[in-house]
Amino acid sequence: MRLVSPATVLKQIAAAVPEDCRENIIIIGSLAAGYHFFGDNASLMVRTKDADCLLSPRIEAISAGVAVTERLFQRNWQFRPDAKWSTPGNESTPDDQLPAVRLNPPGVPDWFIELLTVPESPSDMNKRWVRLATSAGHFGLCSFGFLSLTNYQPISTPFGIAIARPELMALANLLEHPEIRAETMSGLIATREIKRSNKDLGRVLAIARLSVSRNEDALLDWPAIWQEAMQARFPDNWRSFMGRTGAGLRQLLNRPNDLDEARHTCEHGLLASAPPTSEQLRLVGLRLLQDAIEPLERSGR
Amino acid sequence: MKNAKFVGERKFAGVDAEIGNRLIAMKPRVAALRSVRVALMQLAYALAERPASAGFLVLPDVSVTPERLRDEWRLASSVLRSDVLNRLSICTGEAEHLVGIPQDPDTETQRAISDLIAAAGPRASLSLARPEYPFTVMELLVHQWLLGKGPMTTKWLMETAGCSYPTVATVLRRFEHCLVRHSDRRVQLRAFPKEEWARLVAVSEKARGTVRFADRSGQPRSPDSLLLRLQHQDRKDIAIGGVVGARHYHPRLDIIGSPRLDISLHCPGKTADMSFIEKLDPALARTEKRDEPASVIVHLVRRADPLFQTGEAGLAWADPVECLFDLHEARLEPQAREFLNSFPTMKDQM
Repeated sequence: MRLVSPATVLKQIAAAVPEDCRENIIIIGSLAAGYHFFGDNASLMVRTKDADCLLSPRIEAISAGVAVTERLFQRNWQFRPDAKWSTPGNESTPDDQLPAVRLNPPGVPDWFIELLTVPESPSDMNKRWVRLATSAGHFGLCSFGFLSLTNYQPISTPFGIAIARPELMALANLLEHPEIRAETMSGLIATREIKRSNKDLGRVLAIARLSVSRNEDALLDWPAIWQEAMQARFPDNWRSFMGRTGAGLRQLLNRPNDLDEARHTCEHGLLASAPPTSEQLRLVGLRLLQDAIEPLERSGR
Repeated sequence: MKNAKFVGERKFAGVDAEIGNRLIAMKPRVAALRSVRVALMQLAYALAERPASAGFLVLPDVSVTPERLRDEWRLASSVLRSDVLNRLSICTGEAEHLVGIPQDPDTETQRAISDLIAAAGPRASLSLARPEYPFTVMELLVHQWLLGKGPMTTKWLMETAGCSYPTVATVLRRFEHCLVRHSDRRVQLRAFPKEEWARLVAVSEKARGTVRFADRSGQPRSPDSLLLRLQHQDRKDIAIGGVVGARHYHPRLDIIGSPRLDISLHCPGKTADMSFIEKLDPALARTEKRDEPASVIVHLVRRADPLFQTGEAGLAWADPVECLFDLHEARLEPQAREFLNSFPTMKDQM
C-alpha cells in the first residue's frame, strides 16, 4: 500500500470520468475517510491501494459503470491484472466469475480505482455480480451486504463526486462483522496476515478516533443518523440489525490478538500519523459502545 | 454448577473462592505489578497442592496495562512448572466481558467469576476510613460564617456532620479561640479563622479523601463534555465543584475554562460508589501520581448533610467551601483568594 493524497486522487478520478456520471459516484473506504478528516491538509496522506467507487442509484449503476469504464480506458487507464485475471472477461465468462473493474491511472501503479454498486433490494445481503459489457471486455460490478448504507446522504466535494459519510461507513462495517471471522485479507498488510473482520472493525475504531479528534462529542450524534439510515435502507428489518450492531466490536475488544491486528491496520492506514496503542484503541471502542452503539441498541429494543 | 461465593475460611492464602475445581483469587483495583506477581505466585502454590484444579487470578478495575500484565505473565511462564502454568490464568475486563491471559475463561467460568464480582459489591466501590470530624465541623463553621448564616446549635452541627455530641463538643473546645458562644449556647466563628483555614487547606486533600482520575486514551475529554455526560446519570449524591462550581457562586471569577472537573461525592457511609466514573468516560483510570494531569477529581463529602445546592439540568452544586478547597487543591490561589473575598462577610477580614 502506498501513501496517496486523498484530494489529489479524488480530483484525478473526477477529471477522468464522464461529467454526467460524476453524480453517480460516491467514494467509500479509507480514501473517503481520509479526505473527510484531512483532505484540507496536503501534507497528510492516506496509505491505500484502491479507490473504491460506489455507483448509485442502483438503477443507473450499470449504464454509469459502462460509461465510466469506457472513458477510463479511452484515457489510457490500465486494467490491473491479478493472480486470477490477466485480462478482462468476455461474453462467455459467468457473471459470478467476472473480474471487477480495477484500473490503474496512466503511469501510476500505486493505486487503482475499483467500481462497486449498492445491492438491488434491502433483502439482498449476499455478494452479487452484475455484468458490465464494455468495448474493452466484460467486467463484474459487485454489490454486497450493507453497502447501501454508504450512499445515504453522502457528502459532496468540490470535484463533483461525493464521499460516503464516515459514520455510515463505520456502521456498515459494524453490521458486516457481527463476529470476528477467520477469513483473512488476500494480501499482507505491512508484512502481517490480517483477518478481514479485524481490518474492517479497526477502520471503525479509526473513524471514531478521528471523529473525536475533530469534535469530542461527535459519537453522541451517531445513533440518530445511524437509525435514520437503517430505517431508510432496511425498512423491514432495521430493528433487528440495530440489536446486533456492537456484537463484533465487543468480541474484538475482548480479544487482545485480534485487537492488535486492528491496531496494526490503523497504524498502517488512517491513523498512520498518530498511531494509538492497543489499549488506546480499546478505549476508543469502549467510548463508541457507550456513546453510540448502546443507545442505538436500546432504542431498537 | 455450584453457586459462586467467597470461601468463609481460606484454605489457601490468596484464594478467595473455590467453585468446583476452580480456585479463584480476586484482587480488585490493583495498581502495582508487584501485587499481581504476589497473587499469581500464591495461586500457583495452591495449584501445586491441587493437581486437578484450575486457577484464575481475577483483577477487576486493574490499573496495570494489558501489555504489562502480559509481560508479567511471560516472566511467570519462564519460572513456573508447566503442569501448574497450564492450569493458571489471569482475567481482566468487565464482569460481562472477561479477557484472559493466556486464554479467555470458558463460559461457565466466566459466569462464576461474574457472580463473584457481583457478590463482592458494587463495581468500583471504594472502602472508606472513618471521617475526619474535626475537619468536617470546622468546615461547617466556616460555611455558616461565609454565607452569613449566624450562630448554630450543637445539635445542628451533630446532625449535619453526622457525629455524636461528644465529638462536636471536643472539636468546639479545640477551636474555642475562634468562637463566640451565645447565651442560648449557640456558637459561631468570631471572624474568618485565617490560621485555622490555612491548616484546613493544607490537609483538605487527605481529609476529603480526594481521588484523581486521568485519561488513558490520549484524547482527554473536556470538563464540558464530562458535564454533559454527568447530567444524564441522575445521581443525587453528586455535585459540581471546582472552577465550574465557584463560577456558579461568583460568575465574575477571573478564570477562563478549566482543565479538570471537580466533583463532590456524598458518601456518609463506609463506601463510595464510584461507578459513575466509568459511565462518565471509560478512558478514565484512577491515578496516584500527583504530577499526572487529572481530568476528573472526586472529593468525598463524608458529612450527613452534603449541603448540595440543587441546580438545573440534573446537576447539583457543591457548597461554596468545597469549591474553595477545590480551587486551593488545583493551585489556583489567586482565584481562591478572589472567590473567598467575593463573600460579603469577608469584607475587611483579610
